[in-house]
Amino acid sequence: VAVSVLLAAGTLEAARRPRYGGELRIETRATPRTPDPSEAAFLSYVFETLVRLDDRGEPEPWLAASWTHEPARKRWIFTARQNVKLHNGALWAPGLISVADDQPIEKILRDLARPRNAVVVRAEDGSPVGTGPFRIARWEAEKSATLTAHDEYWGGRPYLDRAEIRMGRALPEEALDFELGKADVVEIPITDLRRFRQRGVPVFVSPPSEILALEFEGTLANDAIREAVALSIDRGAIYNVLLQKQGEISGALLPLWIGGYSFLFATERDVSRARQLASPPRTLAFAYDRQDAMMRAIGERIAVNTSEAGITMRPAAGTTADVRLERLPIISRDPWLALEELASLLKIPWPSAAGTPYDAERVLLEGFRVIPLFHLPDAWALSRRVRNWPHLADVWLDARETP
Amino acid sequence: LTFRTKLLFISSFTVAGAVALVTGAVSVSTRRSFERIDRERREAMLDQFRRELDAQGQDVIRRVEKAAASPGVQQIAAGAAEYDRAQAEADAASLDFLDVLQPDLTIISSAHWPARFGYKNDWQIAPEDWNAADAFLTRIPQPEGSATALAAVRPAAGGKGYVAGARRLSPEFLKSLGLAPGLRALLWLAPHEVVDAKGGVRDPEKLDGLIAEVQRSGRQANGVVQWTADRSSSEAFVAFPLSRRGRLMGVLLAGASLREQIALERSILWTGVLVGGSGIAIGVLLGWWTTERITRPVERLAAGARAVAGGDWSTRVDVMSQDEIGELARAFNHMTEQLLEQRERAIQAERVAAWRELARRLAHELKNPLFPLQITVENLQRARHRPEAEFDEVFRESTSTLLAELANLNTIIGRFSDFAKMPRPQFESVDVNEIVRVVMKLHDARFRAGGRPKIEPELDLAAGELRISADGEQLRRALGNLVLNAMDAMPSGGTLRVRTARQDGGVRLEVSDTGQGLTQEECARLFTPYYTTKHHGTGLGLAIVQSVVSDHHGKISVASQPGLGAAFIIDLPGKQGDPL
Repeated sequence: VAVSVLLAAGTLEAARRPRYGGELRIETRATPRTPDPSEAAFLSYVFETLVRLDDRGEPEPWLAASWTHEPARKRWIFTARQNVKLHNGALWAPGLISVADDQPIEKILRDLARPRNAVVVRAEDGSPVGTGPFRIARWEAEKSATLTAHDEYWGGRPYLDRAEIRMGRALPEEALDFELGKADVVEIPITDLRRFRQRGVPVFVSPPSEILALEFEGTLANDAIREAVALSIDRGAIYNVLLQKQGEISGALLPLWIGGYSFLFATERDVSRARQLASPPRTLAFAYDRQDAMMRAIGERIAVNTSEAGITMRPAAGTTADVRLERLPIISRDPWLALEELASLLKIPWPSAAGTPYDAERVLLEGFRVIPLFHLPDAWALSRRVRNWPHLADVWLDARETP
Repeated sequence: LTFRTKLLFISSFTVAGAVALVTGAVSVSTRRSFERIDRERREAMLDQFRRELDAQGQDVIRRVEKAAASPGVQQIAAGAAEYDRAQAEADAASLDFLDVLQPDLTIISSAHWPARFGYKNDWQIAPEDWNAADAFLTRIPQPEGSATALAAVRPAAGGKGYVAGARRLSPEFLKSLGLAPGLRALLWLAPHEVVDAKGGVRDPEKLDGLIAEVQRSGRQANGVVQWTADRSSSEAFVAFPLSRRGRLMGVLLAGASLREQIALERSILWTGVLVGGSGIAIGVLLGWWTTERITRPVERLAAGARAVAGGDWSTRVDVMSQDEIGELARAFNHMTEQLLEQRERAIQAERVAAWRELARRLAHELKNPLFPLQITVENLQRARHRPEAEFDEVFRESTSTLLAELANLNTIIGRFSDFAKMPRPQFESVDVNEIVRVVMKLHDARFRAGGRPKIEPELDLAAGELRISADGEQLRRALGNLVLNAMDAMPSGGTLRVRTARQDGGVRLEVSDTGQGLTQEECARLFTPYYTTKHHGTGLGLAIVQSVVSDHHGKISVASQPGLGAAFIIDLPGKQGDPL
């Protein structure tokens, strides 16, 4: 009995331990045309940067093992990590890596951590070659990609042999494939979280990674009208009912976990003030993604809210809209990087004189050209065999669970 | 208009009027019958609508009760379901609208407008509806407007919530009415939707007037709508308001096509036109025949009368019948015979009178010279026995007297001879004004002659020349006679006025005096030859004037009253051959 117990305990322990091998099937809405690291998150496991931001947003050495300042040359010298091999088996030996010190080192490091600054080596046939734990085995633009394990990865071979990624999938398609067992990891709307959880499906919810905001265009809506819209929206009801308390209410561009100050931006509703500002009643063309159930529900609710202030939100096509409901990604844990990217997406001039992210954000939000509403997390449904999601390099498949 | 035309018009109008009267009476009677039948049909349809509304209401109640008892609604009311769960419950109960409400009417979940959660329901639900047995009409707000629906409310989840469900009043509802041919039901739903059993209605704005009337009065209204330019597209509507608590939810329009009625009215009208036209044609023919028989003798009588007026007193008309017209013809013939006989008698009497007057005047004129002749001859006979010297003296004086009196006789006879020998006028273009001036100048010395009261001449001549075709010499003679006559009429002096004027293409010449005037009898006989009112003269002056005027195809008249003078008026034609 004792032997049996020991054998069983050993088997159980073995099952808990990560194991190598297997293929992970991932589906995503993203549609990268090229294997550019800045186009899809999963490509960060193919192409690495010299510096990486940790979970707290602080830079940490990655392909660059260290960096020193040479005042005489007015440059920062980065020392490449040793024994880093490219996907084609060649040793990565970049030689001297130096960056001018015309900017603070913090900003230089944040820039180097951007996906677009990842190390990409062109092979003889022109194809991009990286250093990450996975290599691109097959690439069909906007449709699918196959990543295979990089056996000579400097950080150690990933557990998975292969990751099959289907791109450009709509959420209902992803949900259907997941139900049919054709996918291991799919994106799910956060409004479906309760349903998945009630069914006992493993889900993963990230920290807020995108912002839901109203963006105004044109001159039909002036400052007063935009402020009236901002004051008329009942964020609490939307958060409690439509978002099922996922994410966070916010009047700021950056979520609390990145900026740390979002509570300083007002989110309270004031219908009477909004009605004063909106007098006489106006009609605005309002666009949102009607194919996205969550966006449609929130858009309709916003229209109901603004109607109380005398502002009629008439559904319209995106090209002719006065105001649109947008989901904007927060691409970095670094507040400066994230704000700069949001300013770029929103086509708002960057306030270069701002001393802090808070100051920059106050300037960006002046005039209510953008009204932040919520910060939303990403959510995935996982098959029962998937372990250690979302870090693909650490993901392994539990053999006890059937795919 | 001629008598014949009048008679034709009268007969035509009589026929047309009678036909129009009959046609109108039949049309009105037909229209009233149709309207009565349509009214009865529409009222029957309204009754059917109310019954169908009740039945549909019961159906809505059953569906709402079913929804209220469903587990899904229980979960919603308990806050254990997603915000849009009501959609599934509405689908399951086949309800178009469904709100799951808290007791304070806050929407927990709305099927037709999920985004309205947390807001108050505004279906005009009153507390008495919550457990009411009946369904009710109400307007339900939607994102794209509002809809009229039949709603019911039932408690759910043991009173922790309520379910308000409704079904839209739609074309399908109207289909269930099973209308009679020619009848249809329309449903007007605020703000601008109009549907019938087939769906949307073309040109719904044509109903605006009727709807506005219902909205204004809140009562049933009637009206006729003509859908196209063709009048037969007209439809008579009765609009019945569907209200709740004073708010107009919709309007039921019961429409009856007027196509058959208008077709029948047109048929009656065309029949009337046909009958009337035929009647008028027959009436015209009959009238023509009748009037021909009546008016032809009358026309012959009229022609005979015109001939008599023209001087042909021997005119006779044919007597064609023995009726009133024939009697009239006989009377006409008798009249002309009598006129002819009387004229003959009058001419004879006038002729005798003229001869008597001539004899009297001749006797008078001849008697005066004859008496001295007789005395002179008798003196001469007595002087034959006297001494020769004395006889010579007497003889000389007597022969002188005889010669003088014989010359006087010769003059008298010459005057009569002149009148008998009035020459034919020689027409030429003359200026009447100029003739007047010449004549007045010739007599000017007489007007101012001493030893007698003064006569003041006055000329009132038309402007310019007054040219006519006339014999200037004869006119001067006639005018001179009139001037002399006027002077004789004013022994105590006065004013002699000569006036000329244009008159109907000719000339009017008027010579008036301020003398003693004439009596009616004197005026009547004034132009008779040898008639005179004076103690001297032959009575031929005015007769010569009349003769001249007559030869010029003119006309002379006199106007006078005793003591007020007299005026002789001569009208002469501008051209000879044109009688005045």
